Amino acid sequence: MNDFELDNYAVIGKNIISLFKNSNPEWKHSIAECLKGLPKLTLTESYVDPDGNKKWFELKSTPWYEESENIIGTIIQLEDITLRVLTETKLEKLEIISEDISDIAEIGFWDYNLAENKMFWDSRTKAIHEVPDDNIPNFIETSNFYKLGYSRNTISMTVNKAITNEVPFSEKLQLITTKGNEIWVIVSGKPLYKNGKFYGMVGTIQNINERHLSEVKTKENQRLLRTLIDNLPLSVCIKDLESRKILVNKSEMEFCDVTDEKKIIGKDDFNFFDKKNAELARKDDLQVMRDLKPILRKEITLKDEGNKNGTFLISKTPLIDTDGHAYGLVSIRMDITDIKRKEIELRKLVDVTSSQNEKLINFAHIVSHNLRSHSANFSMLLDFLTNEKSETEKERIMKMLVDSSDNLLETLDNLNEVVHITTNTSLHKKYIQINKKIAAVQQNLSAELDQHNIEVINTIKNHVKIRVVPAYIDSILTNFMTNGIKYRSPERDSFIRLSASVEGDYTVLHIEDNGLGIDLDKYGEKLFGMYKTFHNNKDAKGIGLYITKNQIEAMKGKVTLDSKVGKGTTFKIYFNDKD
Amino acid sequence: MTKINCICIIDDDPITVFGMRKMLDSLVTYNTMNTFKNGKLAIDGIKDMITDVQEIPEVIFLDINMPIMDGWQFLEEFIALPITNKVRINIITSSIDSTDEENWILYKGKTHHTVTYNHKPIRKQEIAEITKVA
Repeated sequence: MNDFELDNYAVIGKNIISLFKNSNPEWKHSIAECLKGLPKLTLTESYVDPDGNKKWFELKSTPWYEESENIIGTIIQLEDITLRVLTETKLEKLEIISEDISDIAEIGFWDYNLAENKMFWDSRTKAIHEVPDDNIPNFIETSNFYKLGYSRNTISMTVNKAITNEVPFSEKLQLITTKGNEIWVIVSGKPLYKNGKFYGMVGTIQNINERHLSEVKTKENQRLLRTLIDNLPLSVCIKDLESRKILVNKSEMEFCDVTDEKKIIGKDDFNFFDKKNAELARKDDLQVMRDLKPILRKEITLKDEGNKNGTFLISKTPLIDTDGHAYGLVSIRMDITDIKRKEIELRKLVDVTSSQNEKLINFAHIVSHNLRSHSANFSMLLDFLTNEKSETEKERIMKMLVDSSDNLLETLDNLNEVVHITTNTSLHKKYIQINKKIAAVQQNLSAELDQHNIEVINTIKNHVKIRVVPAYIDSILTNFMTNGIKYRSPERDSFIRLSASVEGDYTVLHIEDNGLGIDLDKYGEKLFGMYKTFHNNKDAKGIGLYITKNQIEAMKGKVTLDSKVGKGTTFKIYFNDKD
Repeated sequence: MTKINCICIIDDDPITVFGMRKMLDSLVTYNTMNTFKNGKLAIDGIKDMITDVQEIPEVIFLDINMPIMDGWQFLEEFIALPITNKVRINIITSSIDSTDEENWILYKGKTHHTVTYNHKPIRKQEIAEITKVA
């Protein structure tokens, strides 16, 4: 009465059906059937109590017989089955879940009963072994599915050990199905004991072939990637947002001069580079991560880094997460120091070649010009001669023809000398004491020096030696000193000062005068040109400096000049000590 | 005979100067003839003529390859001088360098003076044709 909240007194004499307002119509039918003598009909009924809990009842109607076996009523028995129903529902749920898990994870279930020596395989286990439904092997035979060798040995040993030691097992092994497919499985089992006596075993088997293969593949890919980045001729480094190195390849470790990866992971550029260089690198890192745009092939020259000095091409690419934010960057450094050096060498070579080419063209023009000049004179003078009546004029023209012929011969000699200088590449250079040569040239020019009262000041120490072709140095010194005499200033006491210095691979001879000086912008390049030379023309400059310049260049040296009008001129002659 | 007031020859080769002078003597009459051994001497001389209000040359024979200041450097400075009269400048050279010919075209376009380009050896006939007031 309490269960259904019915008033004790109000119940008596009432129709039972009328007491339950929401009752199942089957009740009425059931009671009616029962009154006809059909016994023990059971019905289950649910009911929600005032606390909101659902309750389950089982109703059993039994006919009530009087002594004469007439049915005079129905005995209705009510049983609270709430607990039973809930347990059944839970079990059902668990079964469904378990089935689902087995399906999804491809886990099969097996059970071995020692007493019956019977093996039970569920459908999943059968599917894994690819055996027909009605063909389940016995306990011993199951081990034959495992691949000969490691897998077969392991399963036998493990099962034995499990039984002996009363411990469960789980192994990752390879088995060969009935159809001959080789697959990876995880087989687990638990021995069962009753009163300390082994009576069977239950377990699962899971097909992990795809997972295993993809794991193997992943590992292979990882190894491949690692091999690849370690063998690249590039330094590769992955950095986090703080520019700390989180992955480096072998080349980067070698570059940073570490052998242990632990000594580089988590460190930043400030640990390995000069502060200035590290700051520049960090700036680039931040830019890449902020703009989400890579920096590609940026050329960087490292200085003050000892072994790390050189020229590099650096590319930085941001690492972007699925939300579009940078979480780091990949930095790739390529050492182009050698390439750069070769490029410079190559450029030098191209410069040499083009300057030689230019010189050659220039020389061809000079030769043609000089020869044409003379032939033009011959032609003109001969033309005059044929038409000339006056004997004195004829004689004058004849004399000019002779001069012209002499000049042509001299020009040819000079050109020959230039050809000889520029083509004679196997020059034999010797170290000579420069002061000895200066003294000799000074001696040769003493008449002119005395005549114009020119003082020669030599500040070069006696031990200074230069590497030259001895014949050339005579000509060089003579020409430059003659130049000083020729362009002396009439307004002051003249001097020619000689000094020496060292600049890189060169010993430099300075020849300074306080003469007229020249406007370099206008006439500088004319100074070393080649012009018509005539002995009888005292003002002509002729070919002297042109040959001198060729001789200096043939000895792998160079000549520069500095001059101011009204102040004087300084020639700097570079003698190559190395080449 | 053609009459020219002032003729100027700029060449470092005395034989060429001799020849030019000889041919000109038989071709034209002139008041003055100046010869200079290089461009520098010539430009200085012409500047002096302007300063002294002398006659400016009407015809100039100009060599290219000369020491100190060559024909082109002379021309560069000459065309910058305040000379309103049209002067005839006859370049006479033994050069076969194509850059010289390119230079001639360049300078010809830069000045109101007449500039001609002639190769050595130059014949009397050619001198006759190019020796006139521009």
